[in-house]
Amino acid sequence: MCYTWKKNMCAVIEMQIEQNMTIQEKLQILSDAAKYDAACTSSGISRKGKKGSIGNSLACGICHSFSADGRCISLLKILFTNECVFDCKYCINRASNDVRRAAFTPEEICNLTIEFYRRNYIEGLFLSSGILKNPNYTMDLLYQTLYKLRKEYHFMGYIHVKAIPGADEELIQRTGFLADRMSVNLELPTGDGLRRLAPHKTRKTILKPMKQIQVGITANKNEVAFYRATPKFVPAGQSTQMIIGATKENDYQIISVAEALYKSYSLKRVFYSAYVSVNSDAMLPALPDGPPLLREHRLYQADWLLRYYGFEASELLTPERPNFNVLLDPKCEWAVRHLECFPVEVNRAEYQTLLRVPGIGVKSARRIVQVRKSAKLDFEDLKRLGVVMKRAVYFITCMGRMCYQIKLEENSITHHLIHDDRKKLYELQEKESYQQMSLFDDYKLTVPPSVEDGRLSVSGEL
Amino acid sequence: MRVFVCEDSFEGIMTAVYDAWASRLGHNNVSLQIQGEYNLDLFSEYVTVETEEEKVEKVVRTLQKISEEVFACTYKAAMSAEQEKADNIYRFIVLAIKHRSRVLERLNHPDVMKVFSMARRVGTEAHRFLQFVRFRELENGILFSKIEPKSHIITMVAPHFDDRLPEENWIIYDATHNLAAVHAKRTPWVLTRETELFPLLSSKKEADYEELWKIFFRTISIESRKNPNCQRNMLPLWYRKNMLEFDTVSGL
Repeated sequence: MCYTWKKNMCAVIEMQIEQNMTIQEKLQILSDAAKYDAACTSSGISRKGKKGSIGNSLACGICHSFSADGRCISLLKILFTNECVFDCKYCINRASNDVRRAAFTPEEICNLTIEFYRRNYIEGLFLSSGILKNPNYTMDLLYQTLYKLRKEYHFMGYIHVKAIPGADEELIQRTGFLADRMSVNLELPTGDGLRRLAPHKTRKTILKPMKQIQVGITANKNEVAFYRATPKFVPAGQSTQMIIGATKENDYQIISVAEALYKSYSLKRVFYSAYVSVNSDAMLPALPDGPPLLREHRLYQADWLLRYYGFEASELLTPERPNFNVLLDPKCEWAVRHLECFPVEVNRAEYQTLLRVPGIGVKSARRIVQVRKSAKLDFEDLKRLGVVMKRAVYFITCMGRMCYQIKLEENSITHHLIHDDRKKLYELQEKESYQQMSLFDDYKLTVPPSVEDGRLSVSGEL
Repeated sequence: MRVFVCEDSFEGIMTAVYDAWASRLGHNNVSLQIQGEYNLDLFSEYVTVETEEEKVEKVVRTLQKISEEVFACTYKAAMSAEQEKADNIYRFIVLAIKHRSRVLERLNHPDVMKVFSMARRVGTEAHRFLQFVRFRELENGILFSKIEPKSHIITMVAPHFDDRLPEENWIIYDATHNLAAVHAKRTPWVLTRETELFPLLSSKKEADYEELWKIFFRTISIESRKNPNCQRNMLPLWYRKNMLEFDTVSGL
């Protein structure tokens, strides 16, 4: 009986996917459904082209266009199908939503990829999918598509594919040998949030394929070191994504999770995706001001500090102060809280110390180390080397001298750093107007008096 | 002051560098200039340099002996659209011969910095064209692309597509400098100068794929994250001239 019920369910599911749709309609629906995935990088692997095939890959990655939201378009980002048996609260494709459902065939995906690639529209394919029937069935469809693209169409460009949580190890393993990058989305930073919003997913089913891929990559690297002809398993590494702002987690929890993922799962990237309100649900925040983009931006800044600047999550935030500052970026914030480490003498400080100075990035720190071998650096030189002086001046000395007389004191430096940014913002917004210098606060730095203030001043309490 | 006027190409500049050096007038008494219309100096003597393969080779060999990076930097700078590049390159080479490969560490020297930043700008532009070249398929199956770069980046763009599309016949046409990179199936690409362009008809399927790409480009953007400033930073308007997903007139 159970079997027939299952069979009927399958029939119902297949009914929901509209047949006889044009390829234009399918692309419209299935790229629209895929756009909430943040990852669109094509980096991490260099591969030369080969006679008889199409495509190569560059380790730096190539973006082919930029959409109206300013995000890069590097890969043909589509779902195999937006039909899904899971009912994750935050997802537009959840089973309980009434949206048009479509599905590609493997041939259609291969054909689109090749024709777009030839015209240099894209760098490769990003293939994800809703869960059709069950995880194994879906994973197998993804595998079939990749197999066709690699073996029949001889495509050597970049492929990023999702590992479906809950799919068989064997299937994931086989897919990994065809893809360049694989990812399993963590979705929500904590297991608790996952239980609330994604009832069909558990921390375990997500972390299991992640671990499997990590182990596979390490084993494969050792093998390739011995036998160069061994096929490569997920050579561009794996990534993941967390949704920001759908649940109550604070920034400290989020970057701690990211740090743990980098350390114990050797992930290449963790992506943060500001929650876009697509469903109205009692479990979800309303977000009247749009997605939390600034918060997402601060998390990316912190992510870079973790990966390239030698910072640790516990240095940036603490359980007592768990969120990033709205007005200051994480590096500046760290610096003004650790003024005992400053000022730094540019001509002598170690590379790692230079990296921690706001306004000095990886490239400019490298250049400083190189150039100071043959010359003493002054502030003018630093500017030419690409140091952002407006932030760096408060924290550095050149030949024992600071650029201006600056009080090394938390409040005044914070004020200066924020003031500069506000001033810039103001000038950008009001660039048409010319104005006379004034004694009063033209940059609207102070908050305008509220009604309450007015009342207080009348009654003489202010 | 003797001014060596050379043609606007890597070979031209290298020949002028050789001639200026060989003139033995002293580095302060020579200067290099790209052919074109400039104001003439009253007390300068102008010499037109004829490009010679042999002199080019000698200078290139010297540079390569110093280091591949120094050579690459010089080459890229020579592809720049800046007017003063020839003279800057000469000053840079003088320093490179003195300091050898460590010349690139001396970014605080204005002449090194100039060449370095020109090279960097050309490198960026070349990379941008790897990103933003758009091919369309012609009636006869050839992939054709028209670009309008500021610098002479075509020699840095073509090898990438040579490697990527070995089984295709393709042409990249640089309309600014009237150059074309031509690649026939399974053969190395070649550079042609002084090309004449005929009206080119697209293949039958072409309109379909262009429409599909435009659909994809529109739907992939998230409305509530709209950010035209960020888009313009990453993809400045002047690159959009020949990109089908943008309106060719307004660039938006």
